[in-house]
Amino acid sequence: MSQDTENFEQLRRLLKLKRYEQPPPRYFNDFSSQVIARVKRGERGDGYASVGRVLWEAPWLQRIWAAFEAKPILAGAFGLAVCATLITGVIYSERTDLQPVALIPGAEASISGPMDSPMEIANAMAENRTALINPAAGLEGSLSNSLSALPTDGPLFDLRADPASLTIPGRN
Amino acid sequence: MTEPASREAANPSDEPANGAGDTPVPVEEMVLVKRALKGDLSAYDDLVRRYQERIYATIYHMTSNHEDANDLAQEAFIKAFQALRSFKGGSSFYTWVYRIAVNKTLNFLKQRKNKTHMSLDDLDFNAEHDPDLVALISDKTPRREAGLAELQEKLNAAMQKLSEPHRLVVTLHDVQGLSHEEIAKIMDCNAGTVRSRLFYARQQLQAYLSDYLQ
Repeated sequence: MSQDTENFEQLRRLLKLKRYEQPPPRYFNDFSSQVIARVKRGERGDGYASVGRVLWEAPWLQRIWAAFEAKPILAGAFGLAVCATLITGVIYSERTDLQPVALIPGAEASISGPMDSPMEIANAMAENRTALINPAAGLEGSLSNSLSALPTDGPLFDLRADPASLTIPGRN
Repeated sequence: MTEPASREAANPSDEPANGAGDTPVPVEEMVLVKRALKGDLSAYDDLVRRYQERIYATIYHMTSNHEDANDLAQEAFIKAFQALRSFKGGSSFYTWVYRIAVNKTLNFLKQRKNKTHMSLDDLDFNAEHDPDLVALISDKTPRREAGLAELQEKLNAAMQKLSEPHRLVVTLHDVQGLSHEEIAKIMDCNAGTVRSRLFYARQQLQAYLSDYLQ
């Protein structure tokens, strides 16, 4: 133990050398003015002022921020996750917004779901083309009930122009 | 410019250094803090001038690099200004800023990892007249031809081999003269942990510097 004490005493003397290390002459003359100048410019010790204030008032945020500073790859991974979430949300919202109204029943199935392969896309296009060329074939089944409800003793489209009557209030 | 070497040399033992610790904040200091909170930058300039040398010295001893210490010390004060609202006066302003500077330095060193690049400050000319140091380079030492410059380089290289927590306790206690309790507050641990880290760090340094110790 006395040997340790003696050895530590030698080390303590050597460590005194550190106290004699000095920055360049007049170094501290400008130090505070440089700090104040940077404060006036709105610089922060790290990150952004508002973020810095929030961090100091929320210790758990400090730990997260410290982890990001210590391991930048964590910050990168976090940013990537946020971007991926945003992109996924945008894509999903666009998909739900699109409510395609299928005028051609045969095309409904082809446009309602995702088409992953070119073959599927080509088949859907072919179906659509067929329906467009021969709409009656597609409409026959769905319209038959509707057509049966229409009166059958007259033309399908009875176009009679009724004269328009305009009544102007206050004038007879 | 003051002489921090002589000030630090006057407090090599466990006595608290320069008002840090749990002592109530001097009235004048709190007045400066309140003025700075209201946007009075001259008040904050005053606070910076009070503690710039000690803050710089701590960071320098941890990094052994003058340029890094300069940047980190400035950023520590800037960050302290931005966070001034959170300073409640429970400890001295010096301890509070100290903690900001230490945390900032530790984060910097973690990012730097093992890529140490020393850029050492010059030795004050008074070092050549310090009897303890003169004895280290006398005929009795194994490496008697070693000059102070070489001793400085070897000492800093040995400090850089320590882990950050061990380097910090040596810096705060053996170089800057803070007590175990003050160091415990800064490092957010108990005094027993500080003592054990200090003991281990000193053993490590002895092993690294055995050629320069009797």
